[in-house]
Amino acid sequence: MADSNLTSHPVMQRVRRALGRTAPITTAPIPPLLDEPIIRLVHSDIGLPELFQKQATDMKMLVEMVRVDEVIERVAQFLISQKCKSAMLSDTPLLRNLGALEAFQKAGIDARSWCDMTADQAYDIDAGVTEADYAVAETGTLVIRHRPEHGRLLSLVPFVHVAIIEPRIIVPDLLDLFERLARDGTGSGVTLISGPSKTADIEMNTVTGVHGPNIVKAFVLS
Amino acid sequence: MSRSAAADDHSATLENQPLDQNTASFIAEAAASPFDFHTLSVKAAGDEKLKRSINNAVLRQYSARQLRLLELPDSDRLRTLAGQIKQHAIENLDFYLEQLIENVHRNGGHVHLAADSTEARKIILDIARQQHATRVIKSKSMVSEEINLAHVLEQAGLDVVETDLGEFIVQISHDKPSHLVAPIVHKDRASIAQLFSDYFGTPYNDDPQALTMQARQYLRDKFRKADFGMTGGNFLVAEKGLVCCVENEGNQRQSVSTPRILVSLVGIEKIVPRMTDLAVMLKLLTRSATGAPITIYTNIYGGPRSPGEKDGPEEFHLVLIDNGRSEILADPEYRETLRCIRCGACLNACPIYRKIGGHAYGSVYPGPIGALITPLFSGLKTYKDLPQASSLCGACYEACPVKIDIPKHLVHMRRDIVGAHLNGFFERLVYRMWAWAYQRPLTYKLFSAAQRMDLRARAGESGWVEDLPSFAAGWTRVRDMPAPAETSFRKMWAKRHG
Repeated sequence: MADSNLTSHPVMQRVRRALGRTAPITTAPIPPLLDEPIIRLVHSDIGLPELFQKQATDMKMLVEMVRVDEVIERVAQFLISQKCKSAMLSDTPLLRNLGALEAFQKAGIDARSWCDMTADQAYDIDAGVTEADYAVAETGTLVIRHRPEHGRLLSLVPFVHVAIIEPRIIVPDLLDLFERLARDGTGSGVTLISGPSKTADIEMNTVTGVHGPNIVKAFVLS
Repeated sequence: MSRSAAADDHSATLENQPLDQNTASFIAEAAASPFDFHTLSVKAAGDEKLKRSINNAVLRQYSARQLRLLELPDSDRLRTLAGQIKQHAIENLDFYLEQLIENVHRNGGHVHLAADSTEARKIILDIARQQHATRVIKSKSMVSEEINLAHVLEQAGLDVVETDLGEFIVQISHDKPSHLVAPIVHKDRASIAQLFSDYFGTPYNDDPQALTMQARQYLRDKFRKADFGMTGGNFLVAEKGLVCCVENEGNQRQSVSTPRILVSLVGIEKIVPRMTDLAVMLKLLTRSATGAPITIYTNIYGGPRSPGEKDGPEEFHLVLIDNGRSEILADPEYRETLRCIRCGACLNACPIYRKIGGHAYGSVYPGPIGALITPLFSGLKTYKDLPQASSLCGACYEACPVKIDIPKHLVHMRRDIVGAHLNGFFERLVYRMWAWAYQRPLTYKLFSAAQRMDLRARAGESGWVEDLPSFAAGWTRVRDMPAPAETSFRKMWAKRHG
């Protein structure tokens, strides 16, 4: 592979020459200051779940505030109302603590955990149920970090994606999100989800459910 | 890439294929003869259906943008900041590229540098061959259009499918995209419905929902079986070694999730220094492009899957391509054009683009930014008419989220055209005579008096000059000119203050 010694690669040399440099620069340049008041749209931590709900709804996500002791029952009802016969769940702490898997099975849904299936099987399942690592109130966005217990396909290939989120993970602004991600790391990757998959390629007509889920529902715990 | 190379690309990749009729003639003309903007644009401007399709799309995106920018606390200053961040990044590109490469390595990814399109294609093809990958799902990316990647991979025997709905339609109709973010803005739903009916052998149905579902069904199997994912990238985060790409459909997520090999082909100028810069760039990018506050999906990645993950690539390759960018970087004046984040806002704002669409620009980068960077990438000589394809109204500059002063650069490029003697001999002669005459009061007075008399005589009763003799007929072919006033301004001034 062409990995070794890219520092002296002709492209790097051309870039240096273009910038009038004779040797690689050693001191880090200082990027422009990020002037928060002109970047930030959301300045306060107050009312974030409500703002998230409003913004996500604008992006055609379905959002419901629900009490923690009711959430699993509500999710099961929702899945049944969407005619989902099968569901796959991220193998994450919140869902485990809530006993989601057993509850869905009891409700008659063919539910299985991400740890008990292959990636290919995901294509045949009706719904994915996950958590989120962060949510952004400004844009109504769910943020998922890819990791073994939380597969990428859970929120991508089924027609229905349900995410259960705790209010504490909601950050006010995209700026806060990227500060967190810079600090906490991105693992092998991060996906921001802001509504159902959509396209407007044909005469600007918005159609949802193109290659990803057509229904994205967030249950926000209160 | 020289024009002849581009012509080769067309003929090599589109041979014996049924083309969309309009596009077929555009491309045939472009390939057969030297790029002739005048003929292409006159033809496009006369196509009422094309104009309707374009206006429907770009005006909607443009007005959505206008409304959406108001949400920002100070959109003007945010655009300034975004421009500064990109300018800073390109002026320290050597540093940030090294930092990026180091961090991608740390993430477990591979990095390749490609000097030009030939090298980039070879690198990507080699990866596919070494890994025995044959089923490629490709998401939309302008730089892949720039190097004609999909066709080249297809010719090498790979099964390549464009998975963005618009690009899929472009692919199966053997067409070319005509807008940076809305590739099939030139097509109406009837032609798409006919295309799908022919391609899939199904009954004609022009409901966008039904057409989309048909594509979903067809592509789903392609996703499931793919072993090679191909994406572009909107931003590269130097401090973390990450690629950030945005999309709405979920097809790009597929490229990042299912295949065991992931390759991202990105221009070297896409770098931003910090993770937090993404907040600035993303807030402006989608608002400027479609008027949405954010895209449905934003994918951020920079390496292979971590141990224990069941999905995601086993191998990640980042291919960074120069292809003329370092030459633009060497010019302190035009360097600014490398800030471009390909949002398409200048296309939507441009009165010329709205009249002629994207294909007339004879390049993958149409509109005002295309008129500027196509000559920089591919040579002023062939594309000398593009910098003239602007009324210099400034709408593109006003729309640009990174404040590239497009009108200023277009004027400077016109200066370069004259400086390099690329304008016609006759034009140069006339301007030289004009300059000589207008520097001397006597000849100035004589010439302007003669011209005023001549034009007034031609205008006659109507007061409009509709026809000029052959050497100047270009001025009046598509427009009329009001006759000059009876008394010159100099005379009026002398009378009043004399």
